[in-house]
Amino acid sequence: MATLREIKRRIRGIESTAKITRAMELVAASKMRRTQMRALAARPYAEKISWVLADLAETLPFIDPEALHPLLRRHEEVKAVEVVFITPDRGLAGGLPSTLNRRMASFILELEKPVRAVAVGRKGRDFLGRTGQNVVAEFIDIGDKPGYEECRPIAQVVMEDFIAGRADEVYIIYGQFVSTLMQRPEVYKLLPVEPPAEAATVGVDYIYEPTREEVLAELLPRYVERLVYEATLEAIASEQSARMVAMRNATDNANEITSDLTLVYNKARQESITSQLLEITGGVEALQAE
Amino acid sequence: MAKDTKAKGEVVQIIGTVVDAKFPAEELPYVYNAIEIKRRDGYKLTAEVQQHLGNNRVRCLAMDTTDRLRRGDECVDTGARITVPVGRACLGRLFNVFGEPLDDLGKVDADEHWSIHRPSPPMEQLETTPRVLETGIKVLDLVSPFSRGGKVGAYGGAGVGKTVIIMELIRNIATEHGGFSVFAGVGERSREGNDLWHDMRASRVIDKTVLVFGQMNEPPGVRARVGLTGVTMAEYFRDEEGQDVLLFIDNVYRYILANMEVSALLGRMPSAVGYQPTLATDMGALEERITSTKSGSITSFQAIYVPADDYTDPGIVTTFGHLDAVIALERSLVEQGLYPAVDPLTSFSRILDPRVVGEEHYQTARGVQVVLQRYKDLQDIIAILGVEELSEEDKQAVARARRIQRFLSQPMFVAETFTGRPGRYVPVKETVRGFREILEGKWDHLPEQAFYMVGGIEEAAEQAEKMEKEAAA
Repeated sequence: MATLREIKRRIRGIESTAKITRAMELVAASKMRRTQMRALAARPYAEKISWVLADLAETLPFIDPEALHPLLRRHEEVKAVEVVFITPDRGLAGGLPSTLNRRMASFILELEKPVRAVAVGRKGRDFLGRTGQNVVAEFIDIGDKPGYEECRPIAQVVMEDFIAGRADEVYIIYGQFVSTLMQRPEVYKLLPVEPPAEAATVGVDYIYEPTREEVLAELLPRYVERLVYEATLEAIASEQSARMVAMRNATDNANEITSDLTLVYNKARQESITSQLLEITGGVEALQAE
Repeated sequence: MAKDTKAKGEVVQIIGTVVDAKFPAEELPYVYNAIEIKRRDGYKLTAEVQQHLGNNRVRCLAMDTTDRLRRGDECVDTGARITVPVGRACLGRLFNVFGEPLDDLGKVDADEHWSIHRPSPPMEQLETTPRVLETGIKVLDLVSPFSRGGKVGAYGGAGVGKTVIIMELIRNIATEHGGFSVFAGVGERSREGNDLWHDMRASRVIDKTVLVFGQMNEPPGVRARVGLTGVTMAEYFRDEEGQDVLLFIDNVYRYILANMEVSALLGRMPSAVGYQPTLATDMGALEERITSTKSGSITSFQAIYVPADDYTDPGIVTTFGHLDAVIALERSLVEQGLYPAVDPLTSFSRILDPRVVGEEHYQTARGVQVVLQRYKDLQDIIAILGVEELSEEDKQAVARARRIQRFLSQPMFVAETFTGRPGRYVPVKETVRGFREILEGKWDHLPEQAFYMVGGIEEAAEQAEKMEKEAAA
């Protein structure tokens, strides 16, 4: 059995771990709420841009494929695929990073095509580096509350690659925030843009100035940027909620170990007191018997 | 030493197993002499003189129950210490502490009788060149290699498998070993003695073996001396015949305990944790005699009970220094079903040294310990944060540690009826190679369970294949 001092030291160590994990849980909870608010705040813009795009898209089938905006154009042969892979920068987020990594791995394996990866977040980048993937761009430390401006470069990189023909399809993989307790790895096709099919604008006959084509050309990049921005916010919300849950479990586990160890400690303490008492009384008895 | 006429005295006090007797002033028996006490019903009880109390009284330790003994019963000094028959006549026989046969096979016709109290061999006679003795048990050969002529202690709390290890060693070593073996059963279950007797007769090992028993049913006087009886018989083969003898003692702690039981009755003040103040002396009296000399060697295997799994117990601490190799059996491993439950981190051997076992073996054993230690250090983190949070390096260390832990288990020949798996004997070379390859990551692809209860590493691969087939079916 370990000595009293050793047990005490272990208890103290685990208690301070529990303090840290508890603090991290609270921080993660508040960050999660903030990120959700931001996602909510971005929604009206998102809805509007979708409506307009949907409306514009209605005329697309009648346009000559050659004249189609490059972001909409399907590449006939898919030779290379680019994947934006959004993962947390930091660990202690439970199983989320590995779930994402696994999803990414199975995606790559299913694809059986050359993959160009755009890594957003350290965990994913490290994973891709470790497994020898072709990482064409990386965005590390975008922080817990990236603005729209911080997310634009990501979208720009993939759009450039797509237009230049370096990638024939672009996907985005991120942690979808389902609920506090659940995050699901989500795979979404970013490019070529598939205009939303919402029929919210049916019946309204918008007049576009100067032309439909020009508005479309202006809107499409923003639409892609918005998708990336939205996915980033989702990813951060799910990261924070995963962290919150993981840290809560860690705190619970640590408290459990502490209480188990305290029991062991008290037992050992009582045992040593008993044996000391026995020795003293035994010694006294033996002396008196003389 | 023997006198012409035997001195006669009488019993003056009986406290449990300690008897005081009064003798004529000029004829007091020597310390350690055996005296015979004649009970009124004609039974003769042997006792050993321990102290001279003054007023012509001597304090003796009874070697049998003191029931039906009375003050005034006659005592006769035999003029000698307890002596036991030694030599080849003892082979194949089963004895008690006095060297009396217990096996109903008639009288033992020994040419020589030796006293059970003997000095340990002088220092200049001691033999010290270490040579490895293969046991065929992976974990022992790897982290706690035995030396020929060395002393090995198997430590463990109640029910962790000390006796099974000793029995397996008898099976693997005594049966292969050409020389003689002595088994001393000290204060353990009588049933185990009976089983051993029958097993040995069945395997014919008995012809080269001497068995000495003083089990739990015996009074403390017997349990405190029966170890010496066994040692004396082994010493004869070593000193007179120059043999390499194997000596098995199960259990040394019972010897300590027996001495402790009588210590207070003999009037000594209890020392730390209630042990006798003469703890180290008692231990030395037994252990120092079990050693190898220039003429012959005694390789000894001792089971040592650890009370309450507390390795800091003074009785246990005293034994450590006497041994060349320590096998620590760990309850937490028993709870995981990992047999033999030898803890590779606390078990050690003096000869686990690159100069004796070779560089490869040494590095492999240390590598195994490093990985297991890392796993142990990480266990708190895993318990709190989960395996996911470990770095890749640590995850790999954990995965290998778990494979190593399982690969350290091994089916035993003597435990076949419990495990349902036939025992395995693994040569040292195979053992070292297996662990080295796990450390190198050659077997990372096999599932953990494939390493459980197998012999060599190839067997793990076979088991993995079998598991895969079963899963597919």
